[in-house]
Amino acid sequence: MVRGKAKTGLNMKLILQKHSIKQRGDWALSKRAYSRRVVVISFIALVFFQWIQAIGSDFNAQIRPILSDHCFQCHGPDGNRRKADLRLDTKEGLFGVLPSTNSEKSSIHAPVTPGSLKESLIWERILSDDPEEQMPPPDANKALTPSQIESIKKWIESGAPYETHWAFIPPTLPEVPDFSQDPTWKSWTRNPLDAFVLRKMLEEGLTPEPEAPLNLLIRRSSLDILGLPPEPAAFDKYLNRTDDKTRPPGALYEEWIQEALASPHYGERMVWPWLDAARYADSNGYQADRERTMWPWRDWAAKAFNENLPFDQFTVWQIAGDLIPEDSFPENNRSTRMFEAQLATGFLRNHMINGEGGRIAEENRVDYVLDMTETVGTVWMGLTVGCSRCHDHKFDPITQMDYYALSGFFNQTPVNGGGGDPQTAPILPVPSIEQNQRSKDLKSQIQQMSLKLDQYEANWSDLVGGLTELKSPPENIGKILEQPTERRNQNQLSELSEFFKESAPNYAKDLGHLASIKKELDNLNGSVPKVMIMGEQKDRRDTFVLNRGLYNQPGDKVTAATPGFLTKIGKQQDSQVNQDQTESRNRLDLANWLVDRNNPLTARVVVNRFWQMFFGYGLCRTPEDFGSQGKPPTHPELLDWLSVEFQDRGWDVKWLVQTIVTSSTYRQSARISPEKLEKDPENLYLSRSPRYRLPSWMIRDQALAAAGILNPAVGGSPVFPYQPEGVWADATFGNKRYRESTGSDLYRRSLYTFWRRIVGPTQFFDAAKRQVCEVKPTRTNSPLHALQTLNDPAYIEAARLMGESLNRTATDSERLEELYKRLLTRDPQEQELEVLLKALERLRNSYSKEPEAAKALVAVGASDPDPAWDAVESAAWTALISMVLNLDETISKP
Amino acid sequence: MNHLFDPNAQQTRRQFFGKSAMGLGAAALSRLLQTDTSAQQPQSVGSNSGALGAPHFPGKAKRVIYLFQNGAPTHVELFDWKPQLKAMHGEPIPESYVAGKRFSTMTGNPQGKLMLAPVEPFHQRGQSGAWVSELLPHIAGVADDLCFIKSLHTEAVNHAPAITFFLTGAQIPGRPTMGSWLTYGIGTEAENLPGFVVMTSVTKNTSCGQIFYDFYWGSGFLPSRYQGVKFRGGGDPVLYLSSPSGMSSSVRRGLLDDSAELNQLAFENYGDPEIEARIAQYEMAYKMQMSVPELTDFSNESKATLDMYGPGVEEPGTFAYNCLMARRLAERGVSFIQLMHAGWDQHNSITTELYNQCRDTDQPSAALVKDLKQRGMLDDTLVIWGGEFGRTPFIQGDINNRPRWGRDHHPYAFTVWLAGGGVKPGMTYGATDDLAMNVAKDPVHVHDLQATILHLLGIDHERLTYRFQGRDFRLTDVHGKVVTPVFA
Repeated sequence: MVRGKAKTGLNMKLILQKHSIKQRGDWALSKRAYSRRVVVISFIALVFFQWIQAIGSDFNAQIRPILSDHCFQCHGPDGNRRKADLRLDTKEGLFGVLPSTNSEKSSIHAPVTPGSLKESLIWERILSDDPEEQMPPPDANKALTPSQIESIKKWIESGAPYETHWAFIPPTLPEVPDFSQDPTWKSWTRNPLDAFVLRKMLEEGLTPEPEAPLNLLIRRSSLDILGLPPEPAAFDKYLNRTDDKTRPPGALYEEWIQEALASPHYGERMVWPWLDAARYADSNGYQADRERTMWPWRDWAAKAFNENLPFDQFTVWQIAGDLIPEDSFPENNRSTRMFEAQLATGFLRNHMINGEGGRIAEENRVDYVLDMTETVGTVWMGLTVGCSRCHDHKFDPITQMDYYALSGFFNQTPVNGGGGDPQTAPILPVPSIEQNQRSKDLKSQIQQMSLKLDQYEANWSDLVGGLTELKSPPENIGKILEQPTERRNQNQLSELSEFFKESAPNYAKDLGHLASIKKELDNLNGSVPKVMIMGEQKDRRDTFVLNRGLYNQPGDKVTAATPGFLTKIGKQQDSQVNQDQTESRNRLDLANWLVDRNNPLTARVVVNRFWQMFFGYGLCRTPEDFGSQGKPPTHPELLDWLSVEFQDRGWDVKWLVQTIVTSSTYRQSARISPEKLEKDPENLYLSRSPRYRLPSWMIRDQALAAAGILNPAVGGSPVFPYQPEGVWADATFGNKRYRESTGSDLYRRSLYTFWRRIVGPTQFFDAAKRQVCEVKPTRTNSPLHALQTLNDPAYIEAARLMGESLNRTATDSERLEELYKRLLTRDPQEQELEVLLKALERLRNSYSKEPEAAKALVAVGASDPDPAWDAVESAAWTALISMVLNLDETISKP
Repeated sequence: MNHLFDPNAQQTRRQFFGKSAMGLGAAALSRLLQTDTSAQQPQSVGSNSGALGAPHFPGKAKRVIYLFQNGAPTHVELFDWKPQLKAMHGEPIPESYVAGKRFSTMTGNPQGKLMLAPVEPFHQRGQSGAWVSELLPHIAGVADDLCFIKSLHTEAVNHAPAITFFLTGAQIPGRPTMGSWLTYGIGTEAENLPGFVVMTSVTKNTSCGQIFYDFYWGSGFLPSRYQGVKFRGGGDPVLYLSSPSGMSSSVRRGLLDDSAELNQLAFENYGDPEIEARIAQYEMAYKMQMSVPELTDFSNESKATLDMYGPGVEEPGTFAYNCLMARRLAERGVSFIQLMHAGWDQHNSITTELYNQCRDTDQPSAALVKDLKQRGMLDDTLVIWGGEFGRTPFIQGDINNRPRWGRDHHPYAFTVWLAGGGVKPGMTYGATDDLAMNVAKDPVHVHDLQATILHLLGIDHERLTYRFQGRDFRLTDVHGKVVTPVFA
């Protein structure tokens, strides 16, 4: 309403005012507009508000995505492919004077002239109907929609305000919307997170759902935090309490959250998406797919979550734990911490290894280095750096040179790329406590035994007393004897023992004993898992731009550096930095740069992924792409607030999780009203709790836990739960055969399932491939998934065991109540009971007619059926419970 | 009372949805699946329509059967007859043929390598007079139904990258495969089966089989429901297809009805349309359970048909069995049937294992073409036969050690044949030089073949795209031109 030339003066003034408000946090307006307490709105404010509405939102939210998607391919960062020397991804390009080639055809001198459509070339080209002139070109299949054209029009007319891409500006602490004086929302806004969410919600004309009941909240948060349903004990503790009358509402829930966060299962749950991102697997991938032992790294990562290792340290350790100076670790447990930091670098070595014959070692090596580069690019920077492997990025200002400069940090590992050894050095042996102890014992036995042997040998004539015909031993024996006792190997010891068997039987016996101890030690050392870790080689490799990404086509030489368009690296970014320092930049510099306060990306990218774990989607819905083609965040101020607070609080992950799960936003009911479904089908504005299917691994863990058979052991080497026969053999022409675990190993948490890279575990669906880094979960509904949860013996057996564990003297209804309580943390409603009881009768009938079928069903799984149960009765319950295990509510987040 | 289950708190799902899901047919069920409101797109095994809605233009082919020959069959022995090669047997390769070319590390420098004549004679076949080796008598018998493209060339020299390139348009694993693109783009006619099915086989006791990686039928960044479903040779054809022992289909049916009823109650309480999708998902699972056993039951096939496919046709896991399955899958509307047969990598077994390989694949391949033709299905079914590259016209190994003769990987020229689906029968397109070394006429790049296949299905390869990491990807990357001369 205040557009047009006549009002340019006012227009400019408004822009200035708007910007000054933006710096304060952009919220005052909305608060004024929506707060129910505002009675008087001044005329100026009204004009102001409507004007903001009229021009739509800011450049980053509205205009850049259009330009990026429709123009950058030819007029963006990629200098080699840029058409007409016209660049629209920078401020200079957008508003600068046009290159001469363009002005020949047109009298317009700039792509965009703020406030003037007539003097903006892009507008002329958008409107053109000459196929030669029209932009985007008709054959590009990139036509603009009328509403996009309208947005651009409004943007230019309103003075074309410009901003750097949001994700490249370091986050600052935005002012928290204040609802403290608002009686309606005061109590709802439990923490600042809620205030941001509520403000957005109200702006969109939505209001929150009421809080979900405590029982469902406990199930929801238990699954989110632990990946397991709450234990029955939690009910007695939190749900059946009658003494909470005096406590503030929600206090019990908060108490429960504290308890959950302290559980060792918390780390097991938090680490799963981290393993997906880290492309963790238990084999190399590719043809031979040899087994590796990276699992101590997996256990370390889970433990780090449990110990709440600050995320900046978590980061630095995994990227450069081997390079951290000794004295920067606390003195009290320095050696442990240093060991862990080294172990943490296994993160980078989790990549696939190609051991195929005929592969060129250097080609492999380059593959590994680039895999590390792209993984770090996704996990910490949230950028699609891989796009710059072959050419400058089409949409983001990452040049091909930037890409290879980044790869330079990972180019100094002493790995040559040859062969398929799944324990390619540098490696770190990680013995268990028992192995460590045994090793110590054996070593001390060796020492003692060696002393004893030395005593024998001190008096040579005594020793050979029985060998009258020999003055001195034969040459080979002599040579062995010349070596210090402790140095002799097992074969040498056996040889001596054999030689002296007759002449000095006691000596020979002790020699034999020592040989066997040494053998045991060798075996022990062989069985200690060895984790591939990072190291820096002395002779530094040169790093080159690789044309088309090919290992054998090096171009310009580069030094390790972070992308030029982001903040500079290290403390020495000033002029004092000399060439030597540049040359010697290493992974530790990179890691410190990632967690530096001025880095605009890391905290946002990390916080966004944690958010995704609890709401299904990130605040930025493209967790893998914070660049200009990614989705702008739905709640930019909230993302920034969380990112800044997260850093201020020492990168405290448990603080973040607790803030999320205790918020009113999180506690809402998941019910969807038709109005909300219509208004916000994707739940972008969080006016209800998101409801979605649980990850397949969690569905399995839930079934095992509810059946009471989950083996809660934490950590250790991978296990082999039920898998249909022949899956590995089929994929590998019989080279690999799956050997199912036995006993309680069948019921370990899914986390510990052996992950063969070329043919992943069959019991998981929509799971990451664990071949390259993945940070976005997929959720689809294929019938194949249904077949899995219906027919996998794991679920049938769990159903039977769950049935067997129900109180046998109780009534059917009571048992069903018990079942629902364990699985769904609620009582069945009357209509549900009716369906279930009817089904039970029908199943009893049909199984009593087919007792053989009943016996067959209860025999599924490795465990024996409980003889106290009649097979028909047990089969009826097994079938019924297996159905309940497949209910939408069971497999969905409540 | 738990407010979520207060029946008065919500409208009923009947009001919400308009009608009951239980009485709907499969097509309606798959539409129901599309009411998914999450950012993910709809899913089903038998989702009838694809993202394009309708093809870009009417295509002759409705489905594809790709007989992928893993390991790279030797074009020199099988299809590309060169008298000059025979004449030059044992002589070094002229420098001009290999100058500047890269071969696998097994060949290294090709200079001075000796030419190796094909081990069996060739004859001209049928009206078209196509040259086919005596190694493939059955394929020779249907030569007039085939279109030989002799000028294929590719960029990769190792198996896995080259196969990945053929199937996804990129050498690095992770892009969607052709079958995924197709089912994503134009959907499938199959109601109770996946739209994209894969079956693998390998010649017994071969020393040169290549592993079948699951990314050969992966959906890459397309939603995972477009991933090929691997039908297995042993056990359940589809993983977890069979109900556990002791659970009859009537028990299962009853339980699924119970679960639908309970899920509907949940829907009334939650109002989440995802629950309707869940009901449909489980219905589909049941339909698959019911239809797959019928699919794999060959008892209604005539003896003549079984004989035509040859020995092993009734033995799950053989190429013959898979070929007959391919026809049966095609009959049931499956859109993309990808058979992969391993064992063609004759580095040192041209005079030995190549014979087994031909014996195992020749008759079933020809039978499939004949069978489809007899049933009137060849017109709208495109059959593709070929590997990931060719083999060197020069020898790998010692020319004096005939039992160990071999040929190395050769990306510069090789042969693929097509049949049906709108392809001109009885023709040869493109040609190599006189040593079958390089393309001499009408080169066809892998991306060109992909563009041509999509065109036959009514898809403009430049307009079948999917947005991933900010970029619109396509099967043919930024390349590919349609080879129109092969169209009927």
